[in-house]
Amino acid sequence: MSRLRGSNFGAWHELVLLGLLVGLLCVAGYLMPGFLSLRSQLFLSRHLWEFAILALGMTLIIVAGGIDLSVGSAMGLCAVAFGMTFQATEQIWLAIFACGLTGLFGGLLNGALITRFKLHPLIVTLATYAAYRGIAEGISQGQSYSRFGDAFSQLARATWWLIPIPGYLFVGLAITTALVLARSTIGRQIYAIGHNSEAARFSGVAVERLRLGLYAFSGLLAGLATVIYVSRFDTAKADAGKGFELDVITAVVVGGTSIYGGRGTVMGTVIGLLLIHETRLFVGRYWRVDELKSVVVGLLLIVSVLVYQAFMRRATGSRH
Amino acid sequence: MGKVAPLKRHRELGLAALIVFVTLVVSSFDLGFLATGNLRDMMVRCAPTAIVACGMMLVIVTAEIDISVGSLMALTAAAMGIMLSEQHWNLSLWIGVPATLLLGAGVGLTTGLLVTVGKVPSIIVTLGLLTALRGATTLIMQGRNIGGLPTSLTRAAKEGYGGVPIGVWVACSVLLMTYVIIAWTPIGRRVFAVGSSRYAAAMCGLSERRMKLFAFCYTGFLTALATLVEVPRLPKIESGIGLEFELLVVTCVVVGGVSITGGRGTLLGVILAVILMTMIRPVLTFLEIGEQAEKWTNAIQGMFIAVAVIGDSLLRPPNRGGSSA
Repeated sequence: MSRLRGSNFGAWHELVLLGLLVGLLCVAGYLMPGFLSLRSQLFLSRHLWEFAILALGMTLIIVAGGIDLSVGSAMGLCAVAFGMTFQATEQIWLAIFACGLTGLFGGLLNGALITRFKLHPLIVTLATYAAYRGIAEGISQGQSYSRFGDAFSQLARATWWLIPIPGYLFVGLAITTALVLARSTIGRQIYAIGHNSEAARFSGVAVERLRLGLYAFSGLLAGLATVIYVSRFDTAKADAGKGFELDVITAVVVGGTSIYGGRGTVMGTVIGLLLIHETRLFVGRYWRVDELKSVVVGLLLIVSVLVYQAFMRRATGSRH
Repeated sequence: MGKVAPLKRHRELGLAALIVFVTLVVSSFDLGFLATGNLRDMMVRCAPTAIVACGMMLVIVTAEIDISVGSLMALTAAAMGIMLSEQHWNLSLWIGVPATLLLGAGVGLTTGLLVTVGKVPSIIVTLGLLTALRGATTLIMQGRNIGGLPTSLTRAAKEGYGGVPIGVWVACSVLLMTYVIIAWTPIGRRVFAVGSSRYAAAMCGLSERRMKLFAFCYTGFLTALATLVEVPRLPKIESGIGLEFELLVVTCVVVGGVSITGGRGTLLGVILAVILMTMIRPVLTFLEIGEQAEKWTNAIQGMFIAVAVIGDSLLRPPNRGGSSA
């Protein structure tokens, strides 16, 4: 347990993030009455769910020492698969199925290239980042698909007890992922791979199979996120999810997951997501300057890791 | 070292053969591809990527990465525009150009300090800067495009000297300078030493910190230089300049055979990869497969990276990297 690089530190990091989040919410609520009302918060969180779902898969991948730059582009490809299937068959279930299958296949391809040819995940997913978006643009030729019917467009918009349907989906997935990572053998093995994949291999962990599985999971989540995305806009186009990968990685890293692998929790990612989301909302609405949001989020990312590294070094002597 | 050398040559030979093959095929369809005008256009297109790739190569050789160059290009473009435009400060070129270069080098130095002194992984620092610098650019441009750059600058960028735009001259000088640094100066050897084994380098008394600072600072400087020669060619300065430029540059460096884990790579490979990557779009245009073809540019670019790295993996001697089953 103590080998899994400072689980105490993990909890400590989450507490600090939570403190920051509460502090931010207090300041925001004081400066802008009405910012904290449940209704406005829920209204403003409509676009959060796709990011949040992608962040779960990304957390597992980064904890295992990998990275997936292709999730945003995979969403583009999934959206096109969704649109084309719907246009051909008029069956919404088939379209959803095709969307998920495309995502799963995209993730499997990433994983297969990484594990089979022993390539660096950054390079493989940089290649598929360009390739998936390019294939989506190539086969759809810039066409956009829409009018998927009222029932489908309600999927992302309808609420049940004030909370939108994708919210329940995310909470369910987040709890499952958190349990798997923290409490199951697979979770232990993911930490082991991220910490030292050679050592994990010699301890009998099926390293390659597990990594393949993680990328496939991330791809499947990209397919799922696309369904919500398409439902929300009622349009499927090759540019779906553009730039999502960077926001997702930012949230995961701010949430305390080490980019070198071996450290990170789902809880941290969720808090990181909320922290970035609320920072954006607050900055955007208080100063009414949209551009300031990206400056603040970018600096938040650098400063959070900088501070963490400084504390780590003080606590453990000289830790890389 | 001796074992790796033939592999490197494979990569460069492969790239060169591919470039020649594509050129032959396209010019057999349309000889206009080899016309002076088109060749000049392609060289101009290559120039900014080639300039920045020289710095990026050194960064990646030290086993770091810089994905903020696209946003830095936008920031330096906005700064250059505000300093030089006649609608804004209207400063002299003698102040504006060095100030732009200094800004680029300064941001590069900051990145390097955060990575080496702050111990923040370079991908995180530059991911943060990718977002932050783009935001800062839109902030200082205040939603307006900047025009009215001094004509001496725009003319140099468009027409240049001896019929060749200044970008090509600058790219050639930067390539030469980088070659000299890598091949003939101790800095070059130290950069490679730090990248191939930081512990061995440290044991030999080399400063990892100084080499990385140099690489990041050089990349920032070159990004500003690329902005100075590329941006005045455009009708006006927008905040979207350099979007996804970082990915193109990293792609070129990787396809050129530079190992992402550091310590390995040649300048020749990188240049050939830059040429190949910039050729994709003009080639698709010249083949006249119609509008449809250009939409596949991204897909082809991705395929090149995949083929390049898979080829590497297959050619890799079994005792390097592939130690386990």
